[in-house]
Amino acid sequence: MDRDTDRNTEGKGVPGLSPKVTKGKRSRKKENGQPGVAKSGGRRRRNTAQSMAAQQRNISVSEFFAKNRHLLGFDNPRKALLTTVKEAVDNSLDACEEAGIVPEIWVRIECAKGKRYTVAIQDNGPGIVKRQVPLIFGKLLYGSKFHRLRMSRGQQGIGISAAGMYGKLTTGKPVKITTKISVRKPAHYYEVEIDTKHNVPEIHNGRGEGVDIPPGEKGRAYMKRHGIEWVSHYAAPEGQTPKELRSGTRVTIELEAKFLRGRGSVDEYLQQTAIANPHVTLHYVDPEGQDRTYERSTTELPVEPKEIKPHPYGVELGHLVTMLKDSKAVTLSQFMTTSFSRVSAAVARRICEAANLTTRASTRKIGRDEADALYQAIQQTRISNPATDCISPIGEDLLLKGLHHVVPGEFYAAATRPPAVYRGNPFQIEVALAYGGGNSVEKVTHEVLVELLGHSDARTLRQFLVNTFDGIGADSADRIIKSSGFGSRQSPARMDPADINRLLDAMQNVTLSEKQSMQIMRYANRVPLQFQAAGCAITQGVISTNWRSYGLSQSRGGMPSGPVTVMVHMASVWVPFTSESKEAVAAYPEIEKELRLALQAVGRKLGMYLRRRKRVKQEGERRSIFLRYLGEVATAVTEINGGDRQDLYEQLLKVAKRKTAEADTNLDSRGRAVAESEEDYGRNVLVVEQRPEDLLAGLPKTDDEQKQLF
Amino acid sequence: MAKKTARRNVSKAKESNGKLTVKDRKTLKSIGGLAEGVNKAAFRGRDPHLEIPSRSLSNVRYNKSKRFIEMGRGKNRRELFNLSQAKSYMQTVLVGNGCRQLINAGKTTSIRGLYYLLKHTIEGTREETFDEQKDCDPIIEDVEVMLSALREELHLYAKNAGAMVGPITLVDSGDEIDCSRMGSGGYSIPSIAEPEVVQFKRHSAKFVLHVEKDTVWRRFNEDKFWQEHDCILTHGGGQPPRGVRRLLHRLHHELKLPVYCLLDNDPWGYYIYSVIKQGSINLAYESKRMAIPAARYMGMRSKDYERCGLSSSVTIGLNDNDVKRAKQIAGYPWFANKKAWQKEIALMLQNGFKLEVEALINKGISYVTQEYVPARLDDRDFLD
Repeated sequence: MDRDTDRNTEGKGVPGLSPKVTKGKRSRKKENGQPGVAKSGGRRRRNTAQSMAAQQRNISVSEFFAKNRHLLGFDNPRKALLTTVKEAVDNSLDACEEAGIVPEIWVRIECAKGKRYTVAIQDNGPGIVKRQVPLIFGKLLYGSKFHRLRMSRGQQGIGISAAGMYGKLTTGKPVKITTKISVRKPAHYYEVEIDTKHNVPEIHNGRGEGVDIPPGEKGRAYMKRHGIEWVSHYAAPEGQTPKELRSGTRVTIELEAKFLRGRGSVDEYLQQTAIANPHVTLHYVDPEGQDRTYERSTTELPVEPKEIKPHPYGVELGHLVTMLKDSKAVTLSQFMTTSFSRVSAAVARRICEAANLTTRASTRKIGRDEADALYQAIQQTRISNPATDCISPIGEDLLLKGLHHVVPGEFYAAATRPPAVYRGNPFQIEVALAYGGGNSVEKVTHEVLVELLGHSDARTLRQFLVNTFDGIGADSADRIIKSSGFGSRQSPARMDPADINRLLDAMQNVTLSEKQSMQIMRYANRVPLQFQAAGCAITQGVISTNWRSYGLSQSRGGMPSGPVTVMVHMASVWVPFTSESKEAVAAYPEIEKELRLALQAVGRKLGMYLRRRKRVKQEGERRSIFLRYLGEVATAVTEINGGDRQDLYEQLLKVAKRKTAEADTNLDSRGRAVAESEEDYGRNVLVVEQRPEDLLAGLPKTDDEQKQLF
Repeated sequence: MAKKTARRNVSKAKESNGKLTVKDRKTLKSIGGLAEGVNKAAFRGRDPHLEIPSRSLSNVRYNKSKRFIEMGRGKNRRELFNLSQAKSYMQTVLVGNGCRQLINAGKTTSIRGLYYLLKHTIEGTREETFDEQKDCDPIIEDVEVMLSALREELHLYAKNAGAMVGPITLVDSGDEIDCSRMGSGGYSIPSIAEPEVVQFKRHSAKFVLHVEKDTVWRRFNEDKFWQEHDCILTHGGGQPPRGVRRLLHRLHHELKLPVYCLLDNDPWGYYIYSVIKQGSINLAYESKRMAIPAARYMGMRSKDYERCGLSSSVTIGLNDNDVKRAKQIAGYPWFANKKAWQKEIALMLQNGFKLEVEALINKGISYVTQEYVPARLDDRDFLD
């Protein structure tokens, strides 16, 4: 792959640059003309200002990123695949939401020959008008989202065109785009590639003009003839006529890639996207041909975020100077009130006073020093926080729904913090947490297990355990098998009742949840962040929270352990990423604080739940301990004094019941007698009663009767 | 069940089949009281509990006038409906019942035997009533103090440990034993040395020499030290068991023989001496039957390293635990006011090593019997 790339860059991208030849010539020239210069590294003077000037030239963005593609998330074939899918899906979601369409997205990854894969992503979005298509997909840093302050997934306008560029570099194939803006209007089909040297699009088909495909049946026939893929209808239940897609965009990129599952995979990205975007339906066909669909759990679109003007606190001096220059406002006061949010005439006057300027000063006459004074004055003046309607959080309800839909568990809690501000940018932190999940193994009953074993086509017991039960990995399966004393090749088909009992015993007694460590799902503007977990403010926030007080075990400076999944979402008009590849959130103190508060909010609820669960367990244990010994005591005592054993036993039992009941009510963390109240979880908590029968159905538990929303 | 096979039986009354001695009746009555307590509490809907005198350092008192350790009034409450005490409560009741069975059957058993007698799986669980003998032994002691019954009154004994030789003739369970004709092994001191079992017949001894362990005792026996010096020679196999202590106590009080102890010069040896002299903390309730306040410590002394000119290679360095223990012992009230002892312990700590009695063999095989002990008997340099 590297060889390919090099050839491409040298051959097409930068043809005029063959440094060795030019350098050689020039240095020789110099040696004659200028004697007596520094001799280090040979006698010749290496270069002169003039000769160097000849090499100094413009660098196009595309050239820069072609060389530094790791900055955009194309460091290796595996990640390249993910980044491509991610950029396309993010763009689709942004477009759909902006157009007010409930998004439906089709993702298809296919193996092409060799190490190449074809990635196709289609949406039911608004489509793209003809003349913009080549620019959007064939020019870096071209987009609608960079210049405005509004919450969106994409920010810079690099992503999808960079993916196309990467595809071109590794396979030489152009990006194929089909887009349709209305049922009646023709669709456009383009094959575009980026001219890396100049950062402009080159259109391959239709003599550089693209192709128009007529609407309706005719167009479909055309597409079939020319091998253009297009999902024309929504999937419909059997017997109903499928609805036609009114509009949409499909982009197909062929690139060198590697398809792997697990952490940082496309699968994981799509799953996490489904969690954070419960309004999206995702169809996904992976290279092995497996078809998966994440159905939406709501048809309600997120509230449309509003665009805002910059807040004075978020503006830096240089930026302020530029704004002053560009402003049409005549006076300083006008400038302040029109260019910024939250600056009223009164606030502008206060700022000007602090800067020792008059409100009527002309913006043209503000020099560097005045601008500096103005900048300092802004920092000193109290200005109310920016409006927060520019961000649209997922919301606690939908967080719970999304998480419950995808992550199995027994307890869910969510918290959405009120919006806050860092450097003048509003942001909002949301956290949701799922606890449990591995429990399906412990809760299985004998009958259910027998039935599951009967239906299983797994060849080994290990395979059976891993495939049948949620939240149990190979490691846990091994532990169960080891403790039940079976051989590693034991077949689940041939087990007599004694064997099954042994297995059941092991499944119920091996604690699986201890070794597991907390899973963190990070999101920024609903986009999952899958890499650089360690460098991310979110991960640090989770680690620095003291989970021990919420009933989880956690080693110092480490991730808490337990069957817990935490999802953290940061929504902001401008998410401060640590790099262009958008993988980690930078740690601003304001962000850290909000993270901490949000994590604590769900942590408290988890703690409550775990304490309550422990209490119930203790209650049971206490009773069983007393019951265990009562019989012995009764026997011994009646043997000594010749009384009636049964009689005494009954009496002791009575006392025991009363005593445990007393102890149970008294058991509170502060030792106070506290009456159990079922409502004390507060809002936004979901507790799922797990029933072993659910395993048989093999479906996520969605029946309403199984949930209790507090 | 007419047969009476127990040889070392507590009661002569046992000869009449099934009939119980007065002592047995008394013990049975107190066991019955224990059961009645449970019954009463249960039928009143109360929480059954036991009051067990506490057997810890905090609950013993050094009686200055009697010069031994006495048990205080502190009691521990053991409740059935307490998560951490439920099991030991059950065990206590079981031990009570086990002793009742023994008394009714007119038999004695070892504490290990009782452990096996009571050990079974609790119905409906996989839990054992007692996992190890270690779990059972302290419960037996609890029952002893709670019922204020002696171990032999509960028809229990510990394994024999300790031996005796000397010019004394005694009767043990009806057999006459001449302790001057016991060969190399000596008379094995029974764990129950009460007057009902062991009676002294005649003796010509002038004192009792108690040594720490078997190896030293054998040296003295082989050298016939007791013939030459007219003494009774005993050992207790380290910390002397009750039988040995009870016998020493009786030799001292009934036959008016002074008791001299030859023990290692280390915290362990000091504590053995302390137990013989003042009684032990654990069995403080038996001190009046066991402690010998007039016992004397003959050696080894810290100064023996120089006094006997011992080689440095026979010393054993003190470890941290030894130092800690020595300081603890020095702090016991019965040592605190004895200047000689304070000096002794300080000297050991200053030396930084301990001395075993066996170390004297370095000076000659029979140095200890021919020189060391005779010299001490002559100069009467004892510690109190």
